[in-house]
Amino acid sequence: MNFSELLIIALAAIFVQNFIFSRFLGLCPYLGVSKQLDSAIGMGASVIFVMSLASVVTWLVYNFLLIPAQSNLFYKIFNLDVEKIPDLRFLRTIAFILVIATLVQFVEMVVQKTSPSLYRSLGIYLPLITTNCAILGVSVLNIDSEYNFIESLVQGFTAGIGFTLALVLMAGIRIRLDMAEVPKPLKGLPIAFITAGLMAIAFLGFSGLSLE
Amino acid sequence: MTLSGELLKGIYKENPVLRLALGLCPTLAVSNSVINGIGMGTAFTFVLLGSNIIVSLIKKGVPDKIRIPVYIVIIASFVTIADLFMAGFAPKLHKALGIFVPLIVVNCIILGRAEAFASKNSLGRSILDAIGMGIGFTLTLVFIGFFREFLGDGKVLGTPVMGSSFEPVLLFILPPGAFLSLGFLMGFLNWIDSKKVRK
Amino acid sequence: MRNIIKLSSILTLVTAIAALALAGVNTITKPLIEEQMRLAVHNALLEVLPEASGGVCVDVGEKKGELFEAYSSPDTTGLAGFAFKAYGKGYSSTIETMVGLDLNGNIKGIKILFQQETPGLGSKIEEIKYGKSKPWFQEQFKNKNAERVAVDKDDGEIKSITGATISSRAVTNSIRNGFKKIKPRLEKIIKGEQK
Repeated sequence: MNFSELLIIALAAIFVQNFIFSRFLGLCPYLGVSKQLDSAIGMGASVIFVMSLASVVTWLVYNFLLIPAQSNLFYKIFNLDVEKIPDLRFLRTIAFILVIATLVQFVEMVVQKTSPSLYRSLGIYLPLITTNCAILGVSVLNIDSEYNFIESLVQGFTAGIGFTLALVLMAGIRIRLDMAEVPKPLKGLPIAFITAGLMAIAFLGFSGLSLE
Repeated sequence: MTLSGELLKGIYKENPVLRLALGLCPTLAVSNSVINGIGMGTAFTFVLLGSNIIVSLIKKGVPDKIRIPVYIVIIASFVTIADLFMAGFAPKLHKALGIFVPLIVVNCIILGRAEAFASKNSLGRSILDAIGMGIGFTLTLVFIGFFREFLGDGKVLGTPVMGSSFEPVLLFILPPGAFLSLGFLMGFLNWIDSKKVRK
Repeated sequence: MRNIIKLSSILTLVTAIAALALAGVNTITKPLIEEQMRLAVHNALLEVLPEASGGVCVDVGEKKGELFEAYSSPDTTGLAGFAFKAYGKGYSSTIETMVGLDLNGNIKGIKILFQQETPGLGSKIEEIKYGKSKPWFQEQFKNKNAERVAVDKDDGEIKSITGATISSRAVTNSIRNGFKKIKPRLEKIIKGEQK
């Protein structure tokens, strides 16, 4: 395991290929929850947590159940030939979304039972997370990039941080935008998009980072 | 609502992207060329049509408590079908759209239409709704795609049209261009609306 | 409690039906997808090794799709060259390149199979200049020694694309490294051929 490779994954996920500004994942909550600073922080924290967890669990599901390789549980339990293991990769989308939906439900229940105060601050964001495409997105990206377990965890965690960074920055700007004199047709969402575009230009600057 | 109204509302009046601000991720991510927009729009329309039909057919048999998970399973199945067929018949497009094909499953428009429309309306109306919304989504993608491809790369449908002396505005084909294009397009529609009201 | 059992059995049933339906679709599309992949490789092979157009290509790699032998006639006589696939991490995608080699390990031609680099910058690795029929960046590789290709910034002969050194370097280095990987095997095959 190479530490510098993990650092590259982390820097890419936070800055260079920020999930919002470069990969366009998770835009609905990005525009929906960025009107106030404290809700942005709450949403961000929930996303970081669920994203890390989802990266880990979907990685396990894919590598132990879906792909026809030696890591497959069918192979381990029944001692099958690698050739004979059923190739279930076509079930990836359906398996991942169900795993994520279940996971979110489960986290919600645990948080509610163990820490009512945390539940009060995060609870309302959790149901929204199932349809946050950033969560499914990071799970699929981990698989497509052929990341190992640790790399997937790092990408999940840091992509969540990148998302939160974008969300909190945007919330800070939108609070001030409310008081600015915006041309009437651009009020609301249009100006939010234009602001996001300008922020994306700023984030383009990170692409000069040489990650080697 | 009349049947033609059911079909047409998705295109302008209730355009899922421009009016309801749903399905934003694929709109921004794959609108860097017209052909990507058409491919994404077609796959999306297929999934929406399929899930609207099934949801409308089984709406009485599904207990309320597990409604959403059942819908998600249905949608995910259609997404996988679209994904597999695309890989089999249009591998280049499939690769270009990348992870946004499986991500159709979390496109809020589809779950939203299943939940808000197909689970409450007849089969016929659900089909019309799906086709209208699909066309509205596709047109939006194609429109933004045309704009970005033309300005950012000097091309229309992949063919250079501006001659070699044209210096493209690269920004439009890069990620920021997607945000800016959509922002100004939404603003433009608001402006048209405000004119109409004044009359 | 009974309610929970009922609900979960309905959900299980729905999922099972969905999985079965998908398995059906998968059996239809699987050969199609494999055929598409084979075709893509085949067409690229012909482009980098035109000699093989009347002959056949044989997959001889340790892993599938790693190394190909190209023959100039259909009955696997007259070895004309080799081809291999190189993968390089570019700026925003993994760039896949098919590389054709003659019997001495010199590059006969390369063809980018897949890239999703920034349009207008990195994607110029596939740019065809006005009035030309082939992409200029890829044409540079012809007749170069695969073991020593490098971009100009690394003191090599390949002119990199302005503003897109990462993409240019990714292609070039992936070819060099890919060749190093298959070299031992290649030498073995060539030796066997001479016996």
